[in-house]
Amino acid sequence: MGRSGIQNSCNGDRLPIIHPSPRMHGYHYGNKRLVGLQNVEQTSDRGFKANLLDIMYLKKHYPDHIVMASIMGFSNREWYDLAKAVTGAGADMIELNFSCPHMTVEGSGAKVGQVQELVQKFTETVRKASDLPLVAKMTPNITDINEPALYAKMGGANGISAINTVRGISEIGLDDFVPKPNVFGKGAISGYSGPAVKPIGLRFIAEMALNKELGLPLSGIGGIETWIDALEYLLAGATTIQVTTGIIHYGYRIVEDMIEGLSDFMMSKGIEKVADLVGRALPHLVETDEFDLKRQGITNYDLDRCVGCGQCYIVCNDSAGQALEWDSEKRRPKLIEDKCLSCMVCSFVCPVDGLITYREMPSTWKRRETETLGRELQSRLKL
Amino acid sequence: MNYAEKFKEMNDKGFTWGQASAEANRCLLCYDPPCSKGCPAQTDPGTFIRKLRLQNVTGAVRTIKENNILGGSCGILCPTPLLCELECSATEIDRPIQIGKIQRFLVQHSWETGFKVFEKPKADKGRVAVVGSGPAGLSCAAELAKDGYSVTIFEARPKPGGVLAYGVPAYRLPEDFFAIDLKDITDLGVEIKCNAPVDKKGGAEDLLKEGYGAVFLAPGLWEPIRLRENSENIEGVFTATEFLAAMREGKYEEFGAGIAGGNIAVIGGGSVAIDSAETAKRLGAKDVYLVYRRSFKQMPSEEGERVEALKEGIHFLLLNQPVDFVAENGKLKGLKVVRTKLGEKDYSGRRRPVEIPGSEWVIDADVVIEAIGSKAVENSTDWYPSVKTNAKKYIEIDKETGATSVNLLMVFLRAAILYEDRLWLWKPCRMVKSLRVP
Repeated sequence: MGRSGIQNSCNGDRLPIIHPSPRMHGYHYGNKRLVGLQNVEQTSDRGFKANLLDIMYLKKHYPDHIVMASIMGFSNREWYDLAKAVTGAGADMIELNFSCPHMTVEGSGAKVGQVQELVQKFTETVRKASDLPLVAKMTPNITDINEPALYAKMGGANGISAINTVRGISEIGLDDFVPKPNVFGKGAISGYSGPAVKPIGLRFIAEMALNKELGLPLSGIGGIETWIDALEYLLAGATTIQVTTGIIHYGYRIVEDMIEGLSDFMMSKGIEKVADLVGRALPHLVETDEFDLKRQGITNYDLDRCVGCGQCYIVCNDSAGQALEWDSEKRRPKLIEDKCLSCMVCSFVCPVDGLITYREMPSTWKRRETETLGRELQSRLKL
Repeated sequence: MNYAEKFKEMNDKGFTWGQASAEANRCLLCYDPPCSKGCPAQTDPGTFIRKLRLQNVTGAVRTIKENNILGGSCGILCPTPLLCELECSATEIDRPIQIGKIQRFLVQHSWETGFKVFEKPKADKGRVAVVGSGPAGLSCAAELAKDGYSVTIFEARPKPGGVLAYGVPAYRLPEDFFAIDLKDITDLGVEIKCNAPVDKKGGAEDLLKEGYGAVFLAPGLWEPIRLRENSENIEGVFTATEFLAAMREGKYEEFGAGIAGGNIAVIGGGSVAIDSAETAKRLGAKDVYLVYRRSFKQMPSEEGERVEALKEGIHFLLLNQPVDFVAENGKLKGLKVVRTKLGEKDYSGRRRPVEIPGSEWVIDADVVIEAIGSKAVENSTDWYPSVKTNAKKYIEIDKETGATSVNLLMVFLRAAILYEDRLWLWKPCRMVKSLRVP
């Protein structure tokens, strides 16, 4: 386990790349910084030669580490040339960027990832240019990720990485109405990343991991900051994980915490190698119609620890089963058990960890029917 | 030494946007917020913090200002740790939300962004006079003006504000800060006449004959309580009232000369005593002793300000009851005290200080500042001779309407409760809606 890959984004010098300025926007939630990051970067603006020299330098000084070169071509010929060049520079693997979400040139970035035939064609081209393992990077801006992934496999890809950034608008300026980042009065729908996209990334990894026809190793990307995030990607079926926004936010020091945290977790669970964790959540992942609906439960309140804020009462009253009464003297909620919908919203707003938990009820237990407001209007109801 | 410089800078800079926002994010957004119920002035922190949290910043300012036009000064001076913050549910998570500081931030933020809550109302309901421009008089005037009355405040001193202008050190509430709060009141059309005491016999009642349809009485409690009679003749003995007022009048040199390098004893355990002790320290006192007859925990001042005072090097002489001054040829030499121990609980629920016989001793002191409370001015009943007062010379009122025994001579409810509680606070500000001015 550990940090073993460094990735370089490469593209040819055919089209000069100039980044918009400013090129990123941070999305904050309350006083929590950077729950999301939006960027309008256009792959690498560095000269191709510089990127190749970087790869050579890294392999010279860190021969035991894996260097994966990420390439994106704007034509079939360019994909070939790029692959040939990075292979010659000593890269260990090649990532095919089929997914940059804000490229405007047809046949590049996510535009490729959304056209299956191009995914296959360009993968085949790269396959011809290089014997290195090929990892196709997928876009989440699509309904079924397995389709392009399978085309990549047909083209000769040895693995899939996902997800690239999600197309989004993180914020809009209130004084000028310009979406952010505000590039001199203009904004663009572009790549959104960070913790806010983790649930989307986990979904796509799990969907590919469950696809027996695909059967390729998966590299999980999207909102990973902690060892728990990394672990979740492994459990969803990824064999490796990649981090960019997390590094942008915290720096490389977070890798230490990922390694240490995951190692201690594995020790405590008696798990010997990371591979033993891969896909462990998948047997438990079903469609919602497979749930056992006979088993029902309610919330359980440990009121000894209650601080009396009453947020549970507000949310239950305004957005749930109205299953709580409020003792305004003692400032404590009182649960009417047979009205609880087990939505658990109260536990999400409760400021005391673990005060509100879930409790299964015996099979004989029945939930009260929810109230109907207009019973007296029944005779006028036309069905 | 340039004393004025030492008083110019505010002790507490207040929150930045980030700090206020972080603090609002700690708030538990309680149902039926206990903080709001804990405010005797009916300020509603539960609502204004929620509004800040949901980015409704102008709405938050409106919530503060509609209830209390002096929201900025109140945010600084209100002893919130003893009121709203004492009730805060977040205390049980880790620590209370700093409500006073959020309030101050919101008001200051509205100054910076130029957001005004009130437009100048149409004054078409008649003229009303207010006696005194302290917090009660100013709040009363603002409520009346918002209600459509033409209001004139009569203030005895050269500057408006009462205790806000003369009772707290400038490093806590600077003149320019208070001036912005004050401008919100004058912008409503309220006229403030300074150097205009209403202290002739029957002066307050005469206003009714001079074209004012009603008169509100808010003269304040400006008579200091003294340790013993005739101490004003001893050189080196001051009351906190005159001492702090002199500082606000810029008489630093006059007092500084007597205090710099000297031993100073301050009598009392309240916020005024702390202010006096810290002020003496700023004037260059060598040693400042805060002499209090009970224990640290029993002091009525906020714990935070007590700790600050300790950090500034003020010596707390607890469990010592001052009994008399020691003077030679009319000049102070020291403060005679007797040691105490705590006995049974008294009416206030605090353990009573019991003097230990034979334990008298003398603190060498060049200056003693008495900060043991204040009361109604001795001859204040002469200003409104027809109005019923009690033994303490407090005006007797109808607690529903604020009416005194004389028709149309009224007390703003806020001021009335002020007098009763002896707690200097902004009090219920609901206008006397039944008022009909002829």
